[in-house]
Amino acid sequence: MPRFLLFYRLLVRPLLREPLRTALTVLAIALGVAVVLAIELAGGAATGSFRSSMETLAGDNDLEVVAAGGVPESVVGTLDQLPFPLRVVPRMEDYAVVTESKQTLPLIGLDLLAEGAAYTGPQALATLRGNKNDDPQKGLRDLADPLSVYVGASLKRKVGDPLPLLINDQLKTYTVRGVYPDGGGNESAIVMDLAAAQRALNRFARVDRVLIKLPGREQLPQWQARLRAALPAGLEVRPQGTGTTENRRMLQAFRWNLRLLSYISLVVGAFLIYNTISVSVVRRRGEIGIVRALGASRASVLAAFIGEAATFGFIGALLGLPFGRVMASGAVKLMAITVEALYVSSRPGSIALSLSSVVLAFAIGVGVSIISAYAPAREAAQVSPVEAMARGRREYDVRVHKGRDLLIAVLLAVAAEVASYAPPVAGKPLFGYLAAFLLIASSAFAIPAFVDGVSRISAGALQRTLGVEALLASRSLRASLRRTSVLVGALSTAIAMMTSVGIMVGSFRQTVLLWMGDQLPADLYLRPAGDPAADRHPTISPDLAAAIAHLPGVAAIDRLRAYEITYDGLPATLASSDLQILRAYKNSDFFSGRPTEQVLHDLRGANAVVVSEPFTYKHHVRIGDRLQLSLGETQASFRIVDIYYDYSSERGNIIMDRNTMLKYLPDETPSNLAVYVAPGASVDAVRAEIVQAAAGRRILIFSNRNLRGEAIRIFDRTFAITYALEAVAIVVAVMGVAGALLALVIDRRRELGLLRFLGSSKQQIRKLILVEAALLGLLANVAGVLLGFAMSLVLIFVINKQSFGWTIRFHWPVAISLGALTGVYLATVVAGLYPAQVAVRLNPLEVVHDE
Amino acid sequence: MSILSLQSVTKEYVGDGQPVRALDGVTLEVNAGEFVALVGRSGCGKSTLLNLAGAMDFPTSGAVLLDGVATSTLDDARLTVLRREKVGFIFQSFQLLHTLTVFENVELPLLLAGKSGARAAAENRLATVELTGLGDRLPHQLSGGQMQRVAIARALIHSPAVLLADEPTGNLDSTTSAVILQLLQRLTREKNTATIMATHSLEAAALADAVVRLRDGKVEEIIRR
Ligand SMILES: Nc1ncnc2c1ncn2[C@@H]1O[C@H](COP(=O)(O)OP(=O)(O)O)[C@@H](O)[C@H]1O
Ligand SMILES: [Mg+2]
Repeated sequence: MPRFLLFYRLLVRPLLREPLRTALTVLAIALGVAVVLAIELAGGAATGSFRSSMETLAGDNDLEVVAAGGVPESVVGTLDQLPFPLRVVPRMEDYAVVTESKQTLPLIGLDLLAEGAAYTGPQALATLRGNKNDDPQKGLRDLADPLSVYVGASLKRKVGDPLPLLINDQLKTYTVRGVYPDGGGNESAIVMDLAAAQRALNRFARVDRVLIKLPGREQLPQWQARLRAALPAGLEVRPQGTGTTENRRMLQAFRWNLRLLSYISLVVGAFLIYNTISVSVVRRRGEIGIVRALGASRASVLAAFIGEAATFGFIGALLGLPFGRVMASGAVKLMAITVEALYVSSRPGSIALSLSSVVLAFAIGVGVSIISAYAPAREAAQVSPVEAMARGRREYDVRVHKGRDLLIAVLLAVAAEVASYAPPVAGKPLFGYLAAFLLIASSAFAIPAFVDGVSRISAGALQRTLGVEALLASRSLRASLRRTSVLVGALSTAIAMMTSVGIMVGSFRQTVLLWMGDQLPADLYLRPAGDPAADRHPTISPDLAAAIAHLPGVAAIDRLRAYEITYDGLPATLASSDLQILRAYKNSDFFSGRPTEQVLHDLRGANAVVVSEPFTYKHHVRIGDRLQLSLGETQASFRIVDIYYDYSSERGNIIMDRNTMLKYLPDETPSNLAVYVAPGASVDAVRAEIVQAAAGRRILIFSNRNLRGEAIRIFDRTFAITYALEAVAIVVAVMGVAGALLALVIDRRRELGLLRFLGSSKQQIRKLILVEAALLGLLANVAGVLLGFAMSLVLIFVINKQSFGWTIRFHWPVAISLGALTGVYLATVVAGLYPAQVAVRLNPLEVVHDE
Repeated sequence: MSILSLQSVTKEYVGDGQPVRALDGVTLEVNAGEFVALVGRSGCGKSTLLNLAGAMDFPTSGAVLLDGVATSTLDDARLTVLRREKVGFIFQSFQLLHTLTVFENVELPLLLAGKSGARAAAENRLATVELTGLGDRLPHQLSGGQMQRVAIARALIHSPAVLLADEPTGNLDSTTSAVILQLLQRLTREKNTATIMATHSLEAAALADAVVRLRDGKVEEIIRR
């Protein structure tokens, strides 16, 4: 109890006397906690609980059979004839776009007649097959109709409603024949009868997946081996839902990186807590001395200040919880965009504010607060009663060991350099993160010397240009060096994050732009309408491709085809291109540096592939290695003749000659067309001809330039979330600056009042505080840009490389950087406006005391 | 006409509860070159009177005329200008800025007023208070008496007509006090300032040309020599 009283009198009461500053500190923590929580929750919804859309209505099966390019339908018969009591369920799995809402939904083809209620979700399927009261004959007739679809209830359609759907490049109006209750794990999907789906997708004699229910759960591996032996070599037999697991694994790195990015706001918040507690300690030195003299132990003083920080943390977390929950809804949307663009089609799950996330919020809020308060609290505990009282109300200047700190900074920087050379740990760039953290720590230690040096050197020039207020401001910043350093540290960390992520994204963007310039040799590119996603490869009708090839202005078309496959436990894209037609556009796009023409020559007609850069990092393969690929029912070995740069997706890509692929997967249907316009023909005219030829089909035609624009638009959307995270860190830092300036004003009220006695005007007092804010901002900007530059190198060449496997060329987006820095700078000055107002309103008669 | 004139000045402070009448009908004239001691018990209104005289505050009623200008008629900006030109303050606890050197402290009023030639003026004033050569020190490297002399140099930097000192020897030992008082007396003559000094000490009062005795905000008596 007495301890509590001490806590109250020494700490709580003074805080309540400065509600605004207290509120700013709490709010900073709250924001930090909220961001971490939001990313955690959104990550859980968008990636953690990732369930492949294709698991919709897949029910509870044990094994699945898949193959690149589809499983031959005959496999169903083979499996059925095995002497085991298996339940075998073939499925078509693709996507359809509901044109009215532009929603892309999974399209599932099921053998509705055969499956019956034995198949999962008995009620669901009962409804699927028509209404109970209906005439059973009608149900059968519906099934036979290739335009019948069955939809989830969440689509809000009634039986009999027309439903226009875009499937591949064909828009047709289907009829809703049944509605099943979705939700509860079953994402809304468009369900069709197997035959109808094959027809709609123009893929016959193959299904996308065969699900198998075993008579018993035991011995899964044995069953797997037994079934594999009975089936053609190219088919893969694996536990059901492997795709989901693989995708989850693929998404992990992404989630990790966002998570770490979200911690930056917390680091900024930690600086601010440190500052707040330091201010508390410095201000109450005299009182600490008195209570120590009256018998309070060191431990209870330590506990009191740690308690103060913990209270801040607790209240911050309390506010951060609902805040984070709200932010999570926004974050999940942004994340879903990135996931679709770079990885896999998915629909984010619902955001679950679980007990563990609540615990996380409090652990982070209170934990970070206590850790950052420890040093100043210990200092408070070490106050000797006599000395503190003797100094009375005189401001106590904290000694800062600039030299020693600078040495520590150098050591930390060296450690960061060393860490950046370490290889990834289990696919995660742990040492890269460590390097980034060490850099932040290093700059924190270097800042006192930096602030002191810069303000010492610049004082004269500042006074000459900005007047006496600048002299006073720079002296005051230097006088409370530690406080200034912590503020500069907080703000510069936020700026560094902004700069480094900005440089990383900017470099990436520039790299992509350059790369696309080399990548797109054709004049026009066609793909089916609908939103693109990394794992969706809708096709263009072969007859349309043929028609386009015969248009007068068309010199040649390249039919590109992509399949979604699994390689070595990870999703990948297998693609083919017509290498007879592909023009060597540039000397080399390849790692080996060989001329493109040579590489293409190696690929033509051979069992050879080129793989994308991310593929090599995921699977640890090199030029000359061989890949075992399952294509259709066969398995074959392909030599990697080269590696190409690819920034279109984080998934690995494998590319082979179209003729090679057709040998194994004889499906002529292309996913994309690249059209080369004949010399002399006008691109616009050809485009018009194509539009005419494609009448009734839904395809999108991109000129070279359009396609680049589109890609960059997707790119920018993809990185929106990183910008949002940066913005929060900046807001936290600027709030910290406002709070700290307020503290500075209050601590220096005597001096400010005195200046009025000495003939300063109110404007000069305001200017003094604003110049101080501006100086802080300037120091933080310079330190932040330096740190940010170093961190961007780590981000680009270590963290990005190790988590995603992209070679990014360094590029400083100067204009954007300058814009953002100016924005932050202005925000810092604006943050000084209120403290400046407080300074102006001080009554000099009250604040200039004689002791 | 006198440089400083208080005419039936009343000052009331409205705090939390009842208004406090700090000055009650004070009338006082101080001429250039005159050294006035303001004496009376703690709380009798000395500081209040100095603040009014220095245009740091307005009377509730009555008028304060600084060089013929009524302070109540001026806005904040004009008051600032008036202070910059006419008034120098000296405090009990010196009130130097710890982060500035002696030179910079002394220059400060001129710099705030945007006047040039600050360094030369500061050197001159430091010589006047016999501190030549200490300009580059920081305040904490000085003794109490030296600090107060820096404060006096600062108060004189812009050659004010009125010098207001609030218990300037309150924090000093008696020997040092005597030196400071003689300095103030001498400067009042040399610079022809109207100097008002609030003080407790009788020695201080003994040096003054006039002693104004305040009691509960009223002028009890004025003794002129
Ligand atoms: N800002 C203020 N608000 C309320 N009362 C004040 C204020 N300043 C001074 N007083 C009161 O006015 C009276 C005169 O104070 P002051 O001029 O400081 O006296 P002295 O300097 O002679 O000790 C005192 O009763 C004091 O309490
Ligand atoms: Mg007084």
